[in-house]
Amino acid sequence: MHKNLVNFISILRSHDIRVSPAETIDALNAMSVLNFEKRSQIRDGLAMTLAKTKLEEKIFLKCFDRFFKSELPNINPDSLSKDTISTQDLSNLIEKINSNEIGNETLMSQTFNDLAQTSLMKNLMRNNRTELALSLRRAAEEVSLSKIKLFTQKGLYTRKILDSMGEEHIRNAIEIMEKSNDQSLNGIKIYRDMLRKEVKDFVEREYMLQAEARNKQLSDNILVDVRLNNIEHYYLHRANDLITKMASKLSKRYGKQIKRSKKGRIHMPRTLREGVPHQGILFKTHWKKKIRKKPQIFVICDVSGSVAAYTKFFLIFLYTIQDVLPKVRSFAFSSHLGEVSSFFVENSVERAIELVNWQYGGATDYGGSFEDFKNLAIADIDRRSTVLILGDARNNQGDPKLEILRTIFERSKQVIWLNPEPRRAWGTGDSEMKRYQTACHISMECGNLRQLERVVDRLLKSTQ
Amino acid sequence: MDSIENITSSFEKHGYICSEKIATAIFLAAKLEKPLLVEGPPGVGKTELAKTAAYVVDKPLVRLQCYEGLDETKALYEWKYSKQLLYTQLLKEQLSDVLGGAIGFEDSMTRLHAFSDAFYSREFLEPRPLLRAMHEKNGSVLLIDEIDKADFEFESLLLEILSDYQVSIPEIGTIAATKIPFVVLTSNDTRDASDALKRRCIHLYIPFPDQALEERIVLEKVPQIDNNLRKKLVGFVQALRSLDLKKTPAISETIDWAKSLLLLNAESLESDLVVNTLNVLLKFEEDIENTKSNLVSILKQA
Repeated sequence: MHKNLVNFISILRSHDIRVSPAETIDALNAMSVLNFEKRSQIRDGLAMTLAKTKLEEKIFLKCFDRFFKSELPNINPDSLSKDTISTQDLSNLIEKINSNEIGNETLMSQTFNDLAQTSLMKNLMRNNRTELALSLRRAAEEVSLSKIKLFTQKGLYTRKILDSMGEEHIRNAIEIMEKSNDQSLNGIKIYRDMLRKEVKDFVEREYMLQAEARNKQLSDNILVDVRLNNIEHYYLHRANDLITKMASKLSKRYGKQIKRSKKGRIHMPRTLREGVPHQGILFKTHWKKKIRKKPQIFVICDVSGSVAAYTKFFLIFLYTIQDVLPKVRSFAFSSHLGEVSSFFVENSVERAIELVNWQYGGATDYGGSFEDFKNLAIADIDRRSTVLILGDARNNQGDPKLEILRTIFERSKQVIWLNPEPRRAWGTGDSEMKRYQTACHISMECGNLRQLERVVDRLLKSTQ
Repeated sequence: MDSIENITSSFEKHGYICSEKIATAIFLAAKLEKPLLVEGPPGVGKTELAKTAAYVVDKPLVRLQCYEGLDETKALYEWKYSKQLLYTQLLKEQLSDVLGGAIGFEDSMTRLHAFSDAFYSREFLEPRPLLRAMHEKNGSVLLIDEIDKADFEFESLLLEILSDYQVSIPEIGTIAATKIPFVVLTSNDTRDASDALKRRCIHLYIPFPDQALEERIVLEKVPQIDNNLRKKLVGFVQALRSLDLKKTPAISETIDWAKSLLLLNAESLESDLVVNTLNVLLKFEEDIENTKSNLVSILKQA
């Protein structure tokens, strides 16, 4: 059971459930006090020690059902054999075995006799599920089935396991019987097919458990480095999941720090004053409370066609970490600019982004949009504000209005420009990036999820 | 608490119907001496679980209600600052006796050193719930309620207590529990508890009960109610939960509703009656309006 459990836990890990060695030990302890006869009890007990959230519990239950399908007793012990063997064949065979044991050799061929003596055939004929499952597991371990990676390997592994279980005896026997036209041939064939199906199912299940999760991890790793506007529609939800994961990681890291800096120091003057009635003895202590004004973040996003995909992911990221991020005000522009913060209050993030794109999409005019921003919000920018601008700085040869960005630069704590284009494309063609860069504290490339995460990490660090 | 069946039956005796999953969790927590972290929507009986556990094992219940800003001086221990000061004032006169005959500064210091720890002894220690639970001679049931309301730092503070059942006080040393308490933590899921905390606990999620279980619970709490009506009203609440409501009715609200229906001598669920008593089940005007417009279909479902 030990080994099984450890195998199971490694599968849980590949499905994104984090299980520490300490929890493995807990699970083992839990198993030792629970009743093995009751599958549900074992399942619940393991779930309680291994899964830590509702979502993880769901994944756990799925994995548990797949992994321990035919492993534990009392679960569909012989449903499979009943499907595949017609009752008549079965009774025929049983009759034969009986007569065989009595020693009547006239009915039986020698081949069948020999075959019936092998443990595999015995188990098959007696429908000894536990033994079969055990030998199946053992064989799987021998050929290291857990290393299966691709679906093309399924056939190979099935064959290897069958060989390791000793299926060749059956195969050889069938060959001989076919030549001698043996009457028990059909029965044997049915057993062979049953065994093959069983092994095939097992390999299939194992593949689903092992490879599926591993492939997902692999594609996740690739997805992080893909340029955001190249992400196929099919992978969009996957990217969203990834963003949520990154965001929760970041918010966990920074959520704690806000609290820490809130604590105050002792307020000496007040404490002394309170002590005066008690002859200067400081019976009551007073504490200074630090009042931290929340820094503000202004996000100015280009939502024109060329940058829209990046903007979308960026905004999703920003609004997913709302609870750790200081107050965010967002503005969107392409030909003109407007504040869109309220969209995000009233709608879900995805819906809000759709609305923003619909309302502000069009050809880009940076100069005009900066002008709009100046009228709208420049008075609110102070030395605590961070201004984030996301855009490719391609101004269609218009007036860049650099002086406005310079004013923002001077008034704010920092101006960060995120450009989805690779750095070497900055300043080429109609890109005004090189000029705008002179009025930014930081300018960064922000083309894929990994860079996006780095940007947000940096942002959080600087606003704490 | 030595077997799952015993737990189920003894909890039932004290009016708490637990599903097999809950019983398994309690059993594991007791057997492995680990804290039990109970999560779930409000009103499914998380706190009740701890209270009943205290009745079942017949040990005192020590309850710590968490809130934002809760720190160790309120949860763990505090030095009785005023008492310390008062004593120093009172003992000022004794100082000359203690130091009497001491020659020179160094000599007085050595003499004073002999008394230095007197003010940081257990007499001046004010135990708060956590420490009190450890001190309990025959063991206790410690309920840390709504842990998600407390700050992150407080969670870290709990780690030592939950894994080793001991408290470190710098001035005194480590105080270990005389008998390991049965610890229940509850959380409403407003934020995720840290991994470190979760790792140390047996994790139990209590969802809303299914029809059969809820009927049993109502039967236990309001035994006088008619069988048919009970089935109907539970079915109604179950149907309500599938709606998109601001606050879904919990078990406690089902029980309240059953009690009010009993009080009104209701025999069946008439739509007038339901409309008039809906405010027992639902706590937002919006939800009530929403339900009223769907009333016919919900009643049919129930």
